[in-house]
Amino acid sequence: MSDNPAEMTETAAPSETREEPVPRRDVPIETLLPALEAVLFSSPRPVKEKDLADLLETTVESVARAIAALAESADRPERGVRLEKVAGGWRFVTRPEFDSLLRKFHEVTERSRLSLAALETLAIIAYRQPITLPEIQEIRGVNSASVLKTLFERKLITTAGKKPVVGTPFLYRTTQDFLVRFGLNELDELPRPEDLDADLAATVDAREIAAPTSEPPSIHVGSSIDADDDGEDGDDDEED
Amino acid sequence: MPDETPSGALPPIDIPAFSGPLDLLLHLIRIQEVEITDIPIAQITEQYTAYLDAMRELDLDVASDYIALAAELIYIKSRMLLPRAPGEPEEDPRAELARRLLEYEKFKRSAETLHAIDTLRGGLWPRPPTEVPRAEDSDETLEVSMFDLIETFRRVTDQYRLAHPPALAIHQLRFSVRDKMIELLERLDEARTMPLLDFLGRMQYRAEAVTAFLACLELIRLGVVRAFQARPFAEIHASRTELPFSADAIRDTYRE
Repeated sequence: MSDNPAEMTETAAPSETREEPVPRRDVPIETLLPALEAVLFSSPRPVKEKDLADLLETTVESVARAIAALAESADRPERGVRLEKVAGGWRFVTRPEFDSLLRKFHEVTERSRLSLAALETLAIIAYRQPITLPEIQEIRGVNSASVLKTLFERKLITTAGKKPVVGTPFLYRTTQDFLVRFGLNELDELPRPEDLDADLAATVDAREIAAPTSEPPSIHVGSSIDADDDGEDGDDDEED
Repeated sequence: MPDETPSGALPPIDIPAFSGPLDLLLHLIRIQEVEITDIPIAQITEQYTAYLDAMRELDLDVASDYIALAAELIYIKSRMLLPRAPGEPEEDPRAELARRLLEYEKFKRSAETLHAIDTLRGGLWPRPPTEVPRAEDSDETLEVSMFDLIETFRRVTDQYRLAHPPALAIHQLRFSVRDKMIELLERLDEARTMPLLDFLGRMQYRAEAVTAFLACLELIRLGVVRAFQARPFAEIHASRTELPFSADAIRDTYRE
């Protein structure tokens, strides 16, 4: 019964290095679709199309077709869960409008949020990676060691070797978890700093394309950004 | 800083959470609606330091980074007041600060973008990680960061240290005649006279007793202390002579 998820995760990791050809055949979409759904339902991580193809011994194209069908069928107002592509893979997530319901169900009051300082540091690492702590502090003008630790503990960043300069400080880069958290498939999708204003709306829209059928009423990203532009410093980031 | 009260033109001070000195500076510049590339340094410096004072008044811990920027602002201000030396290239003393502020602002805005995305995506619930039972002989490896390894190593060394407490270190005790002289003199200043054995008998170590005895002899030689006995074989007493001499004099005269 639990064979599927176990096999899936085991094959998922090493498959990229394995050159041994997987026997592939075209599987009819009616067979493939429920299998994919089962695998994705069971997986806590986004699963790449290639790994799904390896697992199901079929072609990436068949998987892509089946995924598209699956995503379309899930993306309906009468469904509470949809498929999203993130960090180069696919996963099921709930629709945003059920956030408060789910919080009530799980008795979660506040989601752990990142402080302004943490987000700043994260942004610097995201755009300038790999980067060292002294370089981060040079940009921020403030000691950032504890913030870095927080990001590290949340697995949003990791080390990327050491810089061959005096003191050989650690280099840091963002992780897969960072991509997942911010809904990116790859780092190239980060809005470029020079045209942030223009990109911001587009980025946020892009986040929503997976749920185009109904605008979640509780989320107004645009307005919160406007407020920031008015010069009011967002003082809602005060944890840690 | 002099105890200047900030001028009336200052905005009412409320202290939102600033993520650092540059954030605070940027905030002040935005309030003033001035260009980053053309900061009225004197005015902004005054406001900046007023903020730091207010933070201190509220017992907020003003981190050294904030003070460092205050110093930088004052330095820039002073450079702008000084006439340029002839031949010195014409360069705005504020240029470097403006460059840093512009760069910082860029990242601050990216942070705001990330925040917006994070808020939006915070409402999406993925499947929580579940324990999937695996075969015992699964050779699946987990990615371990170097810090996990360091942490593991630290635990091992902690355990080792607990199991192997350090050996007793034996230090040689050193006694100085000078210290014993001071000790004896101070006791005699209190007691005027006392049995010498009371003093020498308190010494715990052989070397200490020898040192204390030498100290007695030295003080007797100086004529500061007198040793006497009531009759032959009676207890030897020590007492202070009339010679003015204090423990401080010993401290000054004898080297450690």
